[in-house]
Amino acid sequence: MDLSAEDLPGGITKVVLQGRFDTTGAVVMELPFNKIVTERRKIIVDLSAVNFLASYGIRVLLVGAKIVKSKGGNLVILCPDNNVAKVLKTAGMDALIPIHQTETAAAAALAS
Amino acid sequence: MSSLDPRRLVLRNDVAELQRLAGWIEGFAQHGISSDVSFAVQLCLEEAVANIIMYGAARDERLEIAVELERNGGTLVARIEDNGRQFDPTRAPPPVVATSLEKAKVGDLGIHLMRSFASGMDYERREGRNRLTLRFIESTSPAPE
Repeated sequence: MDLSAEDLPGGITKVVLQGRFDTTGAVVMELPFNKIVTERRKIIVDLSAVNFLASYGIRVLLVGAKIVKSKGGNLVILCPDNNVAKVLKTAGMDALIPIHQTETAAAAALAS
Repeated sequence: MSSLDPRRLVLRNDVAELQRLAGWIEGFAQHGISSDVSFAVQLCLEEAVANIIMYGAARDERLEIAVELERNGGTLVARIEDNGRQFDPTRAPPPVVATSLEKAKVGDLGIHLMRSFASGMDYERREGRNRLTLRFIESTSPAPE
């Protein structure tokens, strides 16, 4: 699993995750992901290139969103309507973390 | 021998084994299983086996986790058998629905995902082993002309 981050206009950081966000991937991803969510305030987590998501991955996203929120920031998820989105919704994450299908919508949500 | 049976995989209680499980299911799913069913099987088995690896053993105890996959008519059946401590996931309470991000509890989602993505789930404890059976209905496609 890979993680990269890029700066977007408006002080937004886009974190692009790629690969299998399963237990193995989440264990690798946890530290670098937590470092970003601790330092930044407006974050889009792009799951477009994530082809699998399990509960440990959700745990990393939820902890990240909690950290950002506790510091007065916001974290949103960018994810097309696929099986990964179905896992997020089944887990009830769509009620806790906004999920958008386009980067434009995700960025607009953070701008407001 | 079972170790040569492509439908059966035996794992140890080591988190590194989850990668082997994922690769094995992917290989099995290449034989005409839809991407949606393959995803559901991978998710449910990952959650079930991760639970056993993380919580099934007393300290330093070595477990044997056997996973079997079988296509039975229009149903894909997955069986997971382990010699860890008794645990019946079918009796686990549903997760508490969080009303806000601040109050949301971290964890307890794996069994809920298994219940949601599998078509059926049965458990029995027999001869000191947990036996979990998961069923996945494969969508029926029309027979070729």
